[in-house]
Amino acid sequence: MKIYNKIFKNPWTYRTGAVLLATFNILLFYTTGRMWRVTNGIVSIGAFILEKIGLEPSKWYYFTTYRNIDIKTSESFLANPYILLNLAIILGALISVLLASEFKWKKIKSKKQLGFALLGGVMMGYGTRLSFGCNIGGYFSAIPSFSLHGWVFAFFMLVGAWVGSKILVRYLL
Amino acid sequence: MAEFRLDCLYEACPIPLLKAHKKLQQMKIGDLLILETDHNCSIVNVVDWVKKQGHHVDYIEITEGQWEIFIEKQK
Repeated sequence: MKIYNKIFKNPWTYRTGAVLLATFNILLFYTTGRMWRVTNGIVSIGAFILEKIGLEPSKWYYFTTYRNIDIKTSESFLANPYILLNLAIILGALISVLLASEFKWKKIKSKKQLGFALLGGVMMGYGTRLSFGCNIGGYFSAIPSFSLHGWVFAFFMLVGAWVGSKILVRYLL
Repeated sequence: MAEFRLDCLYEACPIPLLKAHKKLQQMKIGDLLILETDHNCSIVNVVDWVKKQGHHVDYIEITEGQWEIFIEKQK
Protein backbone atom coordinates (compact mmCIF):
# COMPACT_ATOMS: atom_id res chain seq x y z
CA MET A 1 0.00 0.00 0.00
CA LYS A 2 2.87 2.30 0.85
CA ILE A 3 4.59 1.66 -2.47
CA TYR A 4 1.27 1.97 -4.32
CA ASN A 5 0.68 5.38 -2.76
CA LYS A 6 4.19 6.53 -3.52
CA ILE A 7 4.06 5.57 -7.19
CA PHE A 8 0.45 6.05 -8.23
CA LYS A 9 -1.27 8.22 -5.67
CA ASN A 10 1.05 10.90 -4.36
CA PRO A 11 2.19 13.59 -6.77
CA TRP A 12 5.76 13.16 -8.01
CA THR A 13 8.27 15.91 -7.41
CA TYR A 14 9.12 18.37 -10.17
CA ARG A 15 12.61 16.88 -10.25
CA THR A 16 11.30 13.35 -10.89
CA GLY A 17 9.04 14.69 -13.63
CA ALA A 18 11.87 16.63 -15.27
CA VAL A 19 14.23 13.65 -15.27
CA LEU A 20 11.57 11.35 -16.74
CA LEU A 21 10.55 13.86 -19.42
CA ALA A 22 14.16 14.37 -20.44
CA THR A 23 14.81 10.60 -20.51
CA PHE A 24 11.74 9.85 -22.62
CA ASN A 25 12.43 12.72 -25.00
CA ILE A 26 15.95 11.37 -25.57
CA LEU A 27 14.55 7.85 -26.09
CA LEU A 28 11.96 9.17 -28.54
CA PHE A 29 14.60 11.05 -30.49
CA TYR A 30 16.95 8.06 -30.45
CA THR A 31 14.35 5.54 -31.64
CA THR A 32 12.36 7.65 -34.12
CA GLY A 33 14.63 10.57 -35.00
CA ARG A 34 11.86 12.96 -34.00
CA MET A 35 11.46 15.48 -31.24
CA TRP A 36 8.36 15.48 -29.08
CA ARG A 37 5.71 17.82 -30.49
CA VAL A 38 2.02 18.08 -29.72
CA THR A 39 0.09 20.64 -31.75
CA ASN A 40 1.65 19.34 -34.93
CA GLY A 41 -0.57 16.28 -34.63
CA ILE A 42 -3.63 18.30 -33.65
CA VAL A 43 -3.34 20.56 -36.70
CA SER A 44 -3.27 17.49 -38.95
CA ILE A 45 -6.52 16.22 -37.44
CA GLY A 46 -8.03 19.66 -38.04
CA ALA A 47 -6.84 19.68 -41.64
CA PHE A 48 -8.22 16.16 -42.17
CA ILE A 49 -11.67 17.24 -40.90
CA LEU A 50 -11.62 20.33 -43.13
CA GLU A 51 -10.76 18.11 -46.11
CA LYS A 52 -13.70 15.84 -45.31
CA ILE A 53 -16.15 18.74 -45.31
CA GLY A 54 -14.96 19.87 -48.71
CA LEU A 55 -12.27 22.48 -48.08
CA GLU A 56 -8.76 22.14 -49.48
CA PRO A 57 -6.31 22.91 -46.68
CA SER A 58 -3.50 21.16 -48.59
CA LYS A 59 -3.51 24.16 -50.94
CA TRP A 60 -3.23 26.67 -48.11
CA TYR A 61 0.06 28.48 -47.74
CA TYR A 62 0.83 26.96 -44.35
CA PHE A 63 0.40 23.38 -45.53
CA THR A 64 2.08 23.81 -48.93
CA THR A 65 5.11 25.22 -47.13
CA TYR A 66 5.39 23.18 -43.92
CA ARG A 67 3.45 19.97 -44.44
CA ASN A 68 6.52 18.02 -45.60
CA ILE A 69 8.21 18.38 -42.23
CA ASP A 70 6.19 15.45 -40.92
CA ILE A 71 4.16 13.92 -43.73
CA LYS A 72 4.71 13.51 -47.44
CA THR A 73 2.42 15.46 -49.72
CA SER A 74 1.07 12.18 -51.11
CA GLU A 75 0.12 10.92 -47.67
CA SER A 76 -3.12 11.60 -45.81
CA PHE A 77 -3.05 14.15 -43.02
CA LEU A 78 -3.80 11.26 -40.67
CA ALA A 79 -0.37 9.76 -41.47
CA ASN A 80 1.17 12.32 -39.13
CA PRO A 81 2.86 10.21 -36.42
CA TYR A 82 2.26 12.88 -33.79
CA ILE A 83 -1.46 12.01 -33.85
CA LEU A 84 -0.57 8.58 -32.50
CA LEU A 85 1.75 10.14 -29.91
CA ASN A 86 -1.05 12.47 -28.76
CA LEU A 87 -3.48 9.56 -28.44
CA ALA A 88 -0.83 7.68 -26.46
CA ILE A 89 -0.46 10.65 -24.09
CA ILE A 90 -4.22 10.74 -23.50
CA LEU A 91 -4.31 6.96 -22.98
CA GLY A 92 -1.35 7.18 -20.60
CA ALA A 93 -3.02 9.95 -18.63
CA LEU A 94 -6.21 7.88 -18.41
CA ILE A 95 -4.30 4.82 -17.17
CA SER A 96 -2.45 6.87 -14.57
CA VAL A 97 -5.62 8.53 -13.27
CA LEU A 98 -7.39 5.16 -13.12
CA LEU A 99 -4.47 3.59 -11.25
CA ALA A 100 -4.67 6.42 -8.74
CA SER A 101 -8.49 5.96 -8.69
CA GLU A 102 -8.96 9.68 -9.23
CA PHE A 103 -11.01 9.54 -12.43
CA LYS A 104 -13.80 12.09 -12.46
CA TRP A 105 -15.96 13.71 -15.12
CA LYS A 106 -15.67 17.46 -14.86
CA LYS A 107 -18.49 19.83 -15.58
CA ILE A 108 -18.43 23.26 -17.12
CA LYS A 109 -18.69 25.67 -14.25
CA SER A 110 -20.15 28.72 -15.98
CA LYS A 111 -20.72 30.30 -19.37
CA LYS A 112 -17.85 32.64 -18.59
CA GLN A 113 -15.46 29.74 -18.04
CA LEU A 114 -16.64 28.14 -21.30
CA GLY A 115 -16.26 31.39 -23.24
CA PHE A 116 -12.76 32.08 -21.96
CA ALA A 117 -11.72 28.46 -22.55
CA LEU A 118 -12.89 28.56 -26.19
CA LEU A 119 -11.29 31.96 -26.76
CA GLY A 120 -8.06 30.73 -25.18
CA GLY A 121 -8.12 27.58 -27.30
CA VAL A 122 -8.48 29.53 -30.55
CA MET A 123 -5.69 31.94 -29.54
CA MET A 124 -3.38 29.09 -28.54
CA GLY A 125 -4.10 27.15 -31.73
CA TYR A 126 -3.40 30.18 -33.91
CA GLY A 127 -0.33 31.06 -31.88
CA THR A 128 1.14 27.57 -32.21
CA ARG A 129 1.01 27.81 -36.00
CA LEU A 130 2.81 31.15 -35.95
CA SER A 131 5.50 29.79 -33.64
CA PHE A 132 5.64 26.21 -35.04
CA GLY A 133 4.70 24.52 -31.85
CA CYS A 134 3.28 24.85 -28.39
CA ASN A 135 5.35 24.88 -25.23
CA ILE A 136 6.45 21.36 -26.17
CA GLY A 137 7.51 21.66 -29.83
CA GLY A 138 8.46 25.32 -29.62
CA TYR A 139 10.15 25.27 -26.23
CA PHE A 140 10.66 21.91 -24.52
CA SER A 141 12.07 20.22 -27.63
CA ALA A 142 13.75 23.33 -29.01
CA ILE A 143 16.09 24.14 -26.12
CA PRO A 144 17.88 20.72 -26.04
CA SER A 145 18.27 20.92 -29.85
CA PHE A 146 20.26 24.14 -29.33
CA SER A 147 17.75 26.01 -31.43
CA LEU A 148 17.50 29.75 -30.87
CA HIS A 149 13.73 29.69 -31.39
CA GLY A 150 13.26 27.96 -28.02
CA TRP A 151 14.80 30.92 -26.19
CA VAL A 152 12.74 33.42 -28.18
CA PHE A 153 9.69 31.32 -27.36
CA ALA A 154 10.64 31.29 -23.66
CA PHE A 155 10.91 35.08 -23.51
CA PHE A 156 7.54 35.69 -25.15
CA MET A 157 5.95 32.90 -23.13
CA LEU A 158 6.94 34.84 -19.99
CA VAL A 159 5.43 38.02 -21.43
CA GLY A 160 2.26 36.09 -22.37
CA ALA A 161 1.99 34.48 -18.94
CA TRP A 162 2.31 37.89 -17.29
CA VAL A 163 -0.40 39.44 -19.49
CA GLY A 164 -2.56 36.32 -19.10
CA SER A 165 -2.34 36.38 -15.32
CA LYS A 166 -3.38 40.05 -15.28
CA ILE A 167 -6.43 39.22 -17.43
CA LEU A 168 -7.18 36.21 -15.24
CA VAL A 169 -7.07 38.17 -11.98
CA ARG A 170 -9.08 41.03 -13.47
CA TYR A 171 -11.89 39.07 -15.17
CA LEU A 172 -11.98 35.49 -13.91
CA LEU A 173 -11.49 35.65 -10.17
CA MET B 1 -12.62 31.40 14.58
CA ALA B 2 -14.82 31.64 11.54
CA GLU B 3 -15.00 28.93 8.91
CA PHE B 4 -15.14 29.62 5.18
CA ARG B 5 -15.75 27.31 2.23
CA LEU B 6 -14.36 28.03 -1.20
CA ASP B 7 -15.86 26.21 -4.18
CA CYS B 8 -13.09 25.59 -6.73
CA LEU B 9 -14.65 22.52 -8.37
CA TYR B 10 -14.11 22.26 -12.14
CA GLU B 11 -11.52 25.03 -11.99
CA ALA B 12 -8.02 24.49 -13.33
CA CYS B 13 -4.68 26.00 -12.32
CA PRO B 14 -4.00 28.63 -11.22
CA ILE B 15 -7.55 29.66 -10.27
CA PRO B 16 -7.79 27.64 -7.00
CA LEU B 17 -4.48 29.13 -5.81
CA LEU B 18 -5.50 32.68 -6.70
CA LYS B 19 -8.91 32.26 -5.09
CA ALA B 20 -7.28 30.93 -1.91
CA HIS B 21 -4.83 33.86 -1.91
CA LYS B 22 -7.66 36.37 -2.25
CA LYS B 23 -9.82 34.72 0.42
CA LEU B 24 -6.96 34.40 2.93
CA GLN B 25 -6.33 38.13 2.72
CA GLN B 26 -9.89 38.79 3.91
CA MET B 27 -9.68 36.32 6.81
CA LYS B 28 -8.52 36.79 10.40
CA ILE B 29 -5.79 34.82 12.20
CA GLY B 30 -7.15 31.48 13.40
CA ASP B 31 -9.91 31.36 10.77
CA LEU B 32 -10.31 28.15 8.78
CA LEU B 33 -10.63 27.96 5.01
CA ILE B 34 -11.91 24.78 3.35
CA LEU B 35 -11.10 24.71 -0.35
CA GLU B 36 -13.01 22.19 -2.46
CA THR B 37 -11.19 21.09 -5.59
CA ASP B 38 -11.14 18.27 -8.14
CA HIS B 39 -7.92 19.43 -9.80
CA ASN B 40 -5.08 17.21 -8.62
CA CYS B 41 -2.46 19.93 -9.26
CA SER B 42 -4.09 21.96 -6.50
CA ILE B 43 -3.15 19.49 -3.80
CA VAL B 44 0.46 20.21 -4.78
CA ASN B 45 0.64 23.89 -5.66
CA VAL B 46 -1.96 25.24 -3.21
CA VAL B 47 -0.57 23.13 -0.36
CA ASP B 48 3.06 24.07 -1.14
CA TRP B 49 2.21 27.76 -1.41
CA VAL B 50 0.20 27.80 1.83
CA LYS B 51 3.06 26.06 3.68
CA LYS B 52 5.48 28.65 2.32
CA GLN B 53 3.19 31.41 3.63
CA GLY B 54 3.44 29.84 7.09
CA HIS B 55 -0.16 28.74 7.54
CA HIS B 56 -1.29 25.29 8.73
CA VAL B 57 -2.51 23.09 5.90
CA ASP B 58 -3.77 19.57 5.31
CA TYR B 59 -6.01 17.86 2.76
CA ILE B 60 -8.19 14.79 2.43
CA GLU B 61 -9.63 13.03 -0.59
CA ILE B 62 -13.36 13.08 0.05
CA THR B 63 -14.31 11.06 -3.03
CA GLU B 64 -12.47 9.73 -6.11
CA GLY B 65 -10.64 12.67 -7.65
CA GLN B 66 -12.03 15.30 -5.28
CA TRP B 67 -10.30 16.88 -2.32
CA GLU B 68 -10.86 19.32 0.52
CA ILE B 69 -7.87 21.41 1.51
CA PHE B 70 -7.97 22.76 5.07
CA ILE B 71 -6.06 25.98 5.68
CA GLU B 72 -5.77 27.64 9.08
CA LYS B 73 -4.56 31.21 8.83
CA GLN B 74 -1.54 31.75 11.11
CA LYS B 75 -0.44 35.32 10.44
